[in-house]
Amino acid sequence: MEFVITEYKHCDLMEISGRVDSYTSPKIKEALEALIADGHCKIVLDLQAVTYLSSSGMLTFINALKHCQQGSQGKIVLSNVSPQIFTSLELAGFHTLFEIYDDVVTAVGKF
Amino acid sequence: MTTRSFPANFKSLSTISDFIVTSSEKAGFTPDDVYAIQTAVDEACSNIIDHAYGGENLGEIQIQVTQVKNGIQIILRDEGDPFDPDDVPDPDITSPLEIRKERGLGIFFMRKLMDRVIFEFSNKKGNTLTLIKYKGA
Repeated sequence: MEFVITEYKHCDLMEISGRVDSYTSPKIKEALEALIADGHCKIVLDLQAVTYLSSSGMLTFINALKHCQQGSQGKIVLSNVSPQIFTSLELAGFHTLFEIYDDVVTAVGKF
Repeated sequence: MTTRSFPANFKSLSTISDFIVTSSEKAGFTPDDVYAIQTAVDEACSNIIDHAYGGENLGEIQIQVTQVKNGIQIILRDEGDPFDPDDVPDPDITSPLEIRKERGLGIFFMRKLMDRVIFEFSNKKGNTLTLIKYKGA
């Protein structure tokens, strides 16, 4: 798993690649918590290159979303969610908690 | 039938997934079903490490994959503490974000994605979790 964080004028973009599971999600959690602690609460998570997303990965996103929404107008949106990952999000009931966009440009443009 | 053993740690999850994906593809499952089987086994292994062993590198996970009529049977064995998925209630997947509970999602995935989930425990053999998925079910 790898990720790249790009700071835009109105939001931050985190492009994640590879597997997001119990082994790799703590690294994403750490990076998201650091962003949020720095006051960066408007975040796009791009999942185009994510090959697998486990429940621990989903919960990492959910917890970051909760932190972003506490006491600020922040939010976390998803882009490029594959049909298989969307099915998993749907099964967990998480698909309604995130705004999901087809591509990065649209997602970044929402901030 | 193929049997492999893996150290019970989170780093093994990727290798385990490769093994399960290859086996499921060989059994003729669709890409969506292969992803579902991968998810069920990944969640099962994470639970074994977290709950049966109570931490990483405290034992092994043995995985036996068998092609059965129109499907695949995956048996996971560990020597951790008894862990019965039936003791864990399903999560409330419709609750609002603020009160969303985290526990039980992995088992919920297993139950939803596989056609049969059978848990057994014996003092001699430890935990045995049997997951079965049929094609087109």
